[in-house]
Amino acid sequence: MGEAEATKTATASAAAQAIEERAPATPGQMAMGWLLGALGWAVPGLGHLLLKKFDRAVVFFFSVSAMAGLGLAMGAKIYAPSFDRSQGMFVLLLHLLGFLGDLGAGAFYFAARWAALGEDYMPRALGDYGTVFFLCAGLLNLLTALDAYDIAVGKKE
Amino acid sequence: MGPLPLVELTHLQAMALFAFFTSLVFSFLTKYGWKERAKYFLWCFFLFMAVGMGLGWLMYPFPY
Repeated sequence: MGEAEATKTATASAAAQAIEERAPATPGQMAMGWLLGALGWAVPGLGHLLLKKFDRAVVFFFSVSAMAGLGLAMGAKIYAPSFDRSQGMFVLLLHLLGFLGDLGAGAFYFAARWAALGEDYMPRALGDYGTVFFLCAGLLNLLTALDAYDIAVGKKE
Repeated sequence: MGPLPLVELTHLQAMALFAFFTSLVFSFLTKYGWKERAKYFLWCFFLFMAVGMGLGWLMYPFPY
């Protein structure tokens, strides 16, 4: 093992030990974590903005909004809540997972539904890519909301 | 509100845009400091593109 590798390993184990030794989050911190996580979900980057993590707030808002906007502009199909079992349980499960992923985009999901965008399936390859773009915007936004929660409760810097 | 005007992108452009934004978010979520983030962003972007193109070539001989 090289010297640089040994230093890296030592730093990583020191960081892991610091996390283990940290005092558990207080109820106030937990409540703030939930609030900031929810705000971060509703508007991408808002949780980080309120935590004064300006660089992350800008990048998350820019990336999630760009992916959601591009998805819609490519002809994405936005999944609506549906419990229709006529096409079988597997299709229903896929539909529900798609809905949960899309819902992760927060305000963008509700804005798209309100504007009646993405209601119809577009039979073209780029439309399928658009669906994936919007879905990934939602999933990335959920990750950023979890990140805001972790920062608020002191699990991350 | 009527339908949005649809953008036209090639598959490669769509893949590059996807890789760009996803790598950007990953780098800011997992790394601290601009140098570390830049390195991780470039690594993720390269992997997205390389794996995407590799899988594309692997699937090339198969009919749909």
